[in-house]
Amino acid sequence: MAGFVDKLLNLDRRWLFLLVFIGVAVPIILPIGLPVTTTGSTRSAFEYIEALKPGDYVIISFDYGPSSAPENDPMAEGIMRQCFLKRIRVVILALYQLGGLQLASNSIAKVSAEFPNLKYGEDYVNLGYKDGAAAVMKRMGDDIVGAFPADVRGTPLAQIPMMKGLRSLRQVSVVVTVATGLIGEYWITQAHQQSGVPVIVGPTAVGAPKYYAYLNAGQLVGMLGGMKGAAEYEKLLAARYPELGRFYRSTRAFTATKGMDAQTVIHFIIILFILIGNVAFMSRRAAQKKAAAR
Amino acid sequence: MNFEFGRVALVVLFALLPIVGIALGFFVPALRARGPLFVAFFAGIIPILSLYIPRQFLSGETGMRPRLDQWLIIVYGFALLLGIVNVIQNGTRKIARREKGWPYSAVLMTGLFITGGLGIWGAVSGQGITTLPDGSGTPFKWIADHFFLPLQATIFALLAFFMASAAFRAFRARNTEATILLAAGILVMAGRVPLLEFLAAPFPPLQPAAAGASQGLGKLTEWIMQTPNGAAQSGIIIGAALGAASMAIRVILGIERGYLGLGGGE
Repeated sequence: MAGFVDKLLNLDRRWLFLLVFIGVAVPIILPIGLPVTTTGSTRSAFEYIEALKPGDYVIISFDYGPSSAPENDPMAEGIMRQCFLKRIRVVILALYQLGGLQLASNSIAKVSAEFPNLKYGEDYVNLGYKDGAAAVMKRMGDDIVGAFPADVRGTPLAQIPMMKGLRSLRQVSVVVTVATGLIGEYWITQAHQQSGVPVIVGPTAVGAPKYYAYLNAGQLVGMLGGMKGAAEYEKLLAARYPELGRFYRSTRAFTATKGMDAQTVIHFIIILFILIGNVAFMSRRAAQKKAAAR
Repeated sequence: MNFEFGRVALVVLFALLPIVGIALGFFVPALRARGPLFVAFFAGIIPILSLYIPRQFLSGETGMRPRLDQWLIIVYGFALLLGIVNVIQNGTRKIARREKGWPYSAVLMTGLFITGGLGIWGAVSGQGITTLPDGSGTPFKWIADHFFLPLQATIFALLAFFMASAAFRAFRARNTEATILLAAGILVMAGRVPLLEFLAAPFPPLQPAAAGASQGLGKLTEWIMQTPNGAAQSGIIIGAALGAASMAIRVILGIERGYLGLGGGE
């Protein structure tokens, strides 16, 4: 028994790596289709955007990089689809220096291709990347043109039809920050607190715990926590908009709902190994105590 | 001519004053630190005053605070430039001296110059760095899409393997606190995913019970995240904010001078 326990505790970690690899790869290649239940914070974010009227302004800030794209991309794209369906005007920008702009451009290209009737500059605009996240938000609170004089193509904002009536963050119905790191918090402390603009945050699962404090304090309209939050949003979208339901069921592209299958299997593997490790650890400690008592 | 007090004050405080400070520093070395201290004082105090004194020259559309906000964005740009200069200095020195790991620096320099060069070319030529009007990507975007994005995603993906291994080796119920943490961690991990439905999938009669139990577990997880976690996070955030405020006051009043390179409290 002692030999088996020692073997277990000193298990070659490459076996664990192999299990993790299989646990991720198999559900992505062969989706299981596990159910997703929605939480209050995701529902409130969804309903808030749902209550907006055509022509309202929504800012989607790409505040993440490729490292967390599988979690964050589905959030940004889901909200973009909802806004496009409702003809809400979408202002896209990136404040994360490590790839935020590239991810924003890729997501816009992907989602706008699904809505060929929408026009760049009338229904959506990409303001590009600007360094100094908190400083940019503060400036946008007074003057958006001061922070972003031109869009990503170099067109002055004054020449972009949908930007003509938009001067400051106070006119924006909601800011959606899809965030990793600190930038999501800056939107709350610098933009919401100083300009009053409502904020929805879409953090990674690792970053989500800190946002519960802001959620409890009423400083956030809603939150999409990690891949689960994104999968919940996809479920809400599919239930409200049948065309998106068909899209999410039929697409061969990666979706958060598919990602949840892999995440469930990985959580199961990790929990299983934590339990195995603890049982082995306790039995060794009990054996050592017994030996010491003798 | 329209006299703008705010604009004149900014020129005096952030252009003339530093120049006088630098000049004084040449003649009287003991006064060298005085200029930056005054600049830091005014840069810190003006935004605070603008919140309490609603005067046009302070917080109006073209007042001192909005202009300082604009300057802040420009300063951030220069900070990025300083970072790049620092990377180039360190990298080239390492390569020139053939220090340990110099080939990595050579790769870094190559990547920096090629990517940066294409980015600058995009800005100069007016193409930008994302897509061209015909929908095709710029050379900068090609590099980002085919090198940067997959490399960064790959590095982060490796975390899944190391986290699983670390959890197996280190997440042990060694004492009461560790056991509470372990229990909470397992509950949240199980409650954030449809784990029970996954386990019940091969047994159809168990599925309704698993769905019900999963809902209960999900509610428990949300309670853990909202109540104990939310309370702890609030405490951490408030503590950090108070610390930041006190540090800001120390910098504004010139008590904290570490940023001058003279050592704290000098």
